[in-house]
Amino acid sequence: MLTSRQRVNQALQHREADRIPLDLGASAVTGMQVDTVYALRQALRLDPPETPVKVTEPYQMLGEIKPDLMDALGIDVVGLGMPKTLFGFRNEGWKPWQTFQGTPVLVPEGFNTEPDERGDILIYPEGDKSVPPSGRMPKGGFYFDSIIRQPPLDDANLKVEDNLEEFAPISDADLEHLRRELDRLYDGTDKAILANFGGTGFGDIALVPAPWLKHPKGIRDVEEWYVSTSMRRDHVYRIFERQCEIGLKNLAKIHEVVGNKPAAAFVTGTDFGTQNGPFISPRAYRDLFKPFHMQVNNWIHRNTTWKTFIHSCGSVRALIPDFLDAGFDILNPVQCSAAGMNPSELKKEFGERVAFWGGGVDTQRTLPFGTPDEVRKEVAERLKIFGTGGGYIFNTTHNVQARVPVENVLAMYETVRDSGRYPLH
Amino acid sequence: MTVFDELQQAIINGQAALAKELTKKGLDSGKKPRDFFPNAIIPAMDEVGRRMRECEFFIPEVLIAARASRAATDLLRPLLVGDEAVQAAGVVVCGTVKGDLHDIGKNIVAMMLESAGFRIVDLGVDVAPEKIVQAVKDENANVVALSALLTTTMVNMKGSIEALKAAGLRDKVKILVGGAPVTDAWANSIGADGYGKDAPAAVELARRLAATA
Repeated sequence: MLTSRQRVNQALQHREADRIPLDLGASAVTGMQVDTVYALRQALRLDPPETPVKVTEPYQMLGEIKPDLMDALGIDVVGLGMPKTLFGFRNEGWKPWQTFQGTPVLVPEGFNTEPDERGDILIYPEGDKSVPPSGRMPKGGFYFDSIIRQPPLDDANLKVEDNLEEFAPISDADLEHLRRELDRLYDGTDKAILANFGGTGFGDIALVPAPWLKHPKGIRDVEEWYVSTSMRRDHVYRIFERQCEIGLKNLAKIHEVVGNKPAAAFVTGTDFGTQNGPFISPRAYRDLFKPFHMQVNNWIHRNTTWKTFIHSCGSVRALIPDFLDAGFDILNPVQCSAAGMNPSELKKEFGERVAFWGGGVDTQRTLPFGTPDEVRKEVAERLKIFGTGGGYIFNTTHNVQARVPVENVLAMYETVRDSGRYPLH
Repeated sequence: MTVFDELQQAIINGQAALAKELTKKGLDSGKKPRDFFPNAIIPAMDEVGRRMRECEFFIPEVLIAARASRAATDLLRPLLVGDEAVQAAGVVVCGTVKGDLHDIGKNIVAMMLESAGFRIVDLGVDVAPEKIVQAVKDENANVVALSALLTTTMVNMKGSIEALKAAGLRDKVKILVGGAPVTDAWANSIGADGYGKDAPAAVELARRLAATA
């Protein structure tokens, strides 16, 4: 019997292990929304009714995937993360809260909210209510979105430093946190570790508004940022250059602490795809992003055994050859519902060079709106297609969202258990 | 090149300051505000749509062109008020549905529709069904365009359509829907009149639907 760690390593080396390994919750894009985690735990009878679930990622309201749930589902990967959330407070000091759906949850003590006059929930950077809020959950909603706090822009006086406040040399305290967490995860479990160090995602649109900063400066508006990647390209390039320098120095320090224990490192979550095609032209990717992706991947490959992980939603088929050329080993979330992202074609065309991590079921259609039988059919197909020859870690396409019927989640994991063993049938 | 040709190029190239300047220049030289649309703005955005479909333009280029177009239309719109000869292509009430705060896609569609000659009543994000009903009444709209980015909020499109039905307005308007998780099948299942897979498709659809509304 292989350990989870061995199973994942074999898969990442494009070999068939005993079964297809599974991730749930090792990153902020491979998890499950807390209402759904609660429903799943209840359905599996892991908790008495009304037992709260911890919200481990407050922006997307992802629920904690505890060891008992991992065991019940056969999860093989755990996430190593930094101590602070996207809203800048630490994941500690838990207090009770309730979602709009009435689910009992626990949130960190810095999760300080205020209702606005419409009944929306506002949340504050570092939990500090003396500064303007940085996130909003609409009344009845399930997640937060960033409140855009864009200071007036003056093109004559744009400063690169203004968009670099969040990219600083890593502190000794954060290194110590990583050391402790790594020991806990590496020695305390047999799971493979996906490392989420941050700092190397260039232009990730979820991070541009910087919801953890109290007074963000520079270009922080989403549309303004997209426009800037073309109109102020040189400025954005200079931001990336400096970010990359800082990021590489941090990786060197982090590697001294964590060594080669992580199986993979989450390098970037910048979305390059829309439903219908790439967000930007392949040429713009090559000019503006690829040079930095290459530097990070090259550093990692020269100095560590970590595999490098790129997350990009949407239709990215036209960009995958460049992603591979930039040195990425793992592609996520493999959004097969987007144009040109046919699973068989992707596996055939790129499967020898990249490991797919995700794509196990369509979270836009089948999982939320299909029947359990439709879920079973799709999951079985995906396991067969992506799992053949290894190079596959099962996960849904992005986080399992709220409002997903728990019967569908159960059907998905039943199918993985029944059809995920090698040799695949 | 005429001033209209120059303006058309400036919009395609995304030169907002130049587009504004050329619009002023055209107006100063006696061009009628209403003539800018068929002769410069509509063909410019049609070209942007074509380039988007053919993968010459991507999201940043489209946003930049839309901003340039807006620089021109912002000057022209106030001058069109009361111009009896102006027949807008239609009046579109648009918004992102209740519970959803995402607006980039909706904004691109709104800007392209505006450049195509529609009058746009943009209700913003997180729009309650009753607000849509009110706007359709107040603005005498003939098209409603609804956006959703989330699987958890696309279900609220249906609520908006139901509200229009309940208010007796369903037959007065054509309803088009769009957004990442939305499909043709979804549009049919909730009783919408059409689905736009991207902004150029939405414009084409709105033109077709408005002609029959």
